[in-house]
Amino acid sequence: MDVSQYLEIFLDETTEHLQNLNTQILELEQDPENMDTINEIFRAAHSLKGMAGTMGYKRMQNLTHDMENVFSEVRNGNIKVKANMIDILFQCLDALEEYTGNIRETSDEGTNDNEPLIKQLNDILNNKEGGAGAAGEAQEAFAEEKSAGEAPAGGSSGASKWQDIKLDSTDRMVIGEAQKQGKNVYGLTVKVQETCLLKAARAFLVFKAVEELGEIIVSSPSAQDIEDEHFDLDFSLLVITEASLEKVEDAIKNVSEIDTVTGDSVDLEKIGAAEKEAAGQEAETPAAPVEETPAKVSKPAKPAAAAPAADSKPAGKTAAAKPVVNRTVRVDIEKLDVLMNLVSELIIAKNSLVAAASANDMQKGTSVQSGVNEHIEYLESVTTNLHESVMKVRMVPIESVVNKFPRMIRDLSKKLNKKMELYMSGEETELDRTVVDEIGDPLMHLLRNSADHGLESAEVRAQRGKPAVGSIWLDAYQDGNNVVIEVRDDGNGIDTEAVKNKAIERGTITPEQAANMSEKEIIDLLFLPSFSTAKQVTDVSGRGVGLDVVKSKIEALSGEVEVHSTLGEGSTWTIRLPLTLAIIQALMVVVGGEKYAISLGSIQTIEDISPAEVKLVQNKEVIHLRGNVIPIIRLDKELDVVSSKNPEDNMVVIIAKKGDRTAGFVVDELLGQQEIVIKSMGKYIDNKCKLISGATILGDGEVALILDANVLI
Amino acid sequence: MEELKAIDEGMTTQYIVIRLGQEQFGIDIQYIDNIVRMQHITRVPKLAPYLKGVINLRGEVIPIMSICLKMGLAPDEEGKSTRIIIVKLEQYGTIGMMVDEVKEVVTLNMASQVEKMAYDKDDKNNFVLGVGKYEGGLISLLDLNAVVQEK
Repeated sequence: MDVSQYLEIFLDETTEHLQNLNTQILELEQDPENMDTINEIFRAAHSLKGMAGTMGYKRMQNLTHDMENVFSEVRNGNIKVKANMIDILFQCLDALEEYTGNIRETSDEGTNDNEPLIKQLNDILNNKEGGAGAAGEAQEAFAEEKSAGEAPAGGSSGASKWQDIKLDSTDRMVIGEAQKQGKNVYGLTVKVQETCLLKAARAFLVFKAVEELGEIIVSSPSAQDIEDEHFDLDFSLLVITEASLEKVEDAIKNVSEIDTVTGDSVDLEKIGAAEKEAAGQEAETPAAPVEETPAKVSKPAKPAAAAPAADSKPAGKTAAAKPVVNRTVRVDIEKLDVLMNLVSELIIAKNSLVAAASANDMQKGTSVQSGVNEHIEYLESVTTNLHESVMKVRMVPIESVVNKFPRMIRDLSKKLNKKMELYMSGEETELDRTVVDEIGDPLMHLLRNSADHGLESAEVRAQRGKPAVGSIWLDAYQDGNNVVIEVRDDGNGIDTEAVKNKAIERGTITPEQAANMSEKEIIDLLFLPSFSTAKQVTDVSGRGVGLDVVKSKIEALSGEVEVHSTLGEGSTWTIRLPLTLAIIQALMVVVGGEKYAISLGSIQTIEDISPAEVKLVQNKEVIHLRGNVIPIIRLDKELDVVSSKNPEDNMVVIIAKKGDRTAGFVVDELLGQQEIVIKSMGKYIDNKCKLISGATILGDGEVALILDANVLI
Repeated sequence: MEELKAIDEGMTTQYIVIRLGQEQFGIDIQYIDNIVRMQHITRVPKLAPYLKGVINLRGEVIPIMSICLKMGLAPDEEGKSTRIIIVKLEQYGTIGMMVDEVKEVVTLNMASQVEKMAYDKDDKNNFVLGVGKYEGGLISLLDLNAVVQEK
């Protein structure tokens, strides 16, 4: 069977389930008696097994099957959760992740049978009274009990739905013809189990099985709808075949995860007719667990018959014990990009309108104009809202990235033999999908760094009077137009002396340079490629790749990373990322007759400064502003243009901030705040000018460049 | 390299004939996306002199270069006939090139009408693949990748 079209869904869902398992098993380790957690684990393992089986990944299925057995026993109270069991379970999850990884790359699960793991799982099972066999039985009993419990909900009205199939005249003719030729025409209603995850795949298998025996004339819903999974739990078929009804039913029942099959030979008079006599057919349908109630049989008309069926569906759904993970619609990111581009165009069009209206304003009287302006203001609010909503669609919580970290810290704790605890907050903070996908690695590096280099060994901690268990915090929060992620630890902090010595030893800096460097500059050395201060190269870190990668990754996302550290008390790594990458609020300025945009995100205040206030410190121009000395940067010089302003006039200074550094930019004129769409300047010259981070198209069609204030500060 | 192969095989190729100063050049038509009139170019600071800046071409920002400055000819004289030829190159994306005039399209037989250029260390010739002969005179066939490439 061709399952490739389901591969993506399979991978997505498997990843989700594995993550869920990781989280839950961690919880189980803390609270081994928690029944909710155990149930949750069991369900996730069960779903994984089902999905792997459907897709034909046997090894994955075997492993999950054994895991499921263990959980089943735990659930029944026959096995107690122990530390070594948790370890084995985590190893199983790693093995499953490996399978998933293989599948993602080659669409094959690989050849690793993971027999030692399966053996260990079986050992766990065998060590309790009753043996492993009972586990399987118990689980089957559970499955049966479950399906029995579910059946009445959907079964009572749905068992013979095929009778509701609408036939057009050609279909009737075909059926009539077939019956004349002595072939059997059967109507079948197939109900899949409520826990079935790939219903369309199951339906596909059913279709295939039936087509081997005969010909499917009609299905309800249509074959296309079934393929797109537009059906609830059951679907109906009309089949022409030479085989017997039992044979067809058996063939269908051979497809796994099929709950019930109800079928009978078709009587053209009856099907789709107003009056239905279903009672007789029920006798021949042993597979249906519940007999149809007379109430339904006597329903006079089709629409009425359909109504109770529809009613029973939601009831069946709520009863289904599907874990409530995030309820999402998967949308191709390219479709969102298209939507985003359209919004961008709209904003440009709106800006043109605004520009045109204000130009008109100056020429004509304003009586007619006020009406137009009102409409433009309305358009403006609509586009802004639209932009925000499209942005939000692209936003995902960073949860999907950070929730693998507790597991990682646990493993590190064992590996490094240090006791540590990870505290996370703000997992619900949202970021653009593309950013979230990229941010995982840098965060992982920082956490590993904290665990390995940051936290001291138990002895040192005891000497320093710190709690034996080291703490690492991961906090995320939104700050204006930025999202801030902080990785903090209460470990040793950065030993600037050690860094300095190492740098001198490596020849990165000379001793004279070192003597003149500020703490901050020394810490920045850590971000240089291949610089590691770990005295020992460990498995975890110390190979000197890491911080430079962290830095370049984050800068590629237009973000920045900073470190604050106090020796002996710990260090804080702060990552600051822009909320959005495509449309920003910017301040438009004029420098030497050219228009530039500066992102509002970095701007603190705008000041009116008299030239007399500019002082020289170390041959650099600075101003004294509310107690702070701020260096000023004359943009006309930086941009190689000649300012059109009289040097004796007051200067317009934009105070911008990058981390804890501040600078003032001198511009000629302010044009105002505007929403701008960031455009690339084209492959050829993008990144050739470091000062310019992109371009934008203004309302009048002119191109304005976007100044990257961060480069200048 | 493709062009060279074409020369060997004696195929015909269409060229757009442009004028830079007093000299005529040919640009292989397959690279040309569009030809637009001169418009306001937004200067981008800190770039090489031959990179003139960017323009807005129907909502896209396109970098503009001067072939004259890149090849060391006299600077362009902007006039009524100045055009921007938009070319698409796989390696460099879309680029606009300022030319003094766009004259016509000619079809050259690679075997009989084009003479390959012997390699010459003279910088200017490094941009030229060969010389085409047609009724109006001689045209130098530009190697666009060499023109665009940074040295």
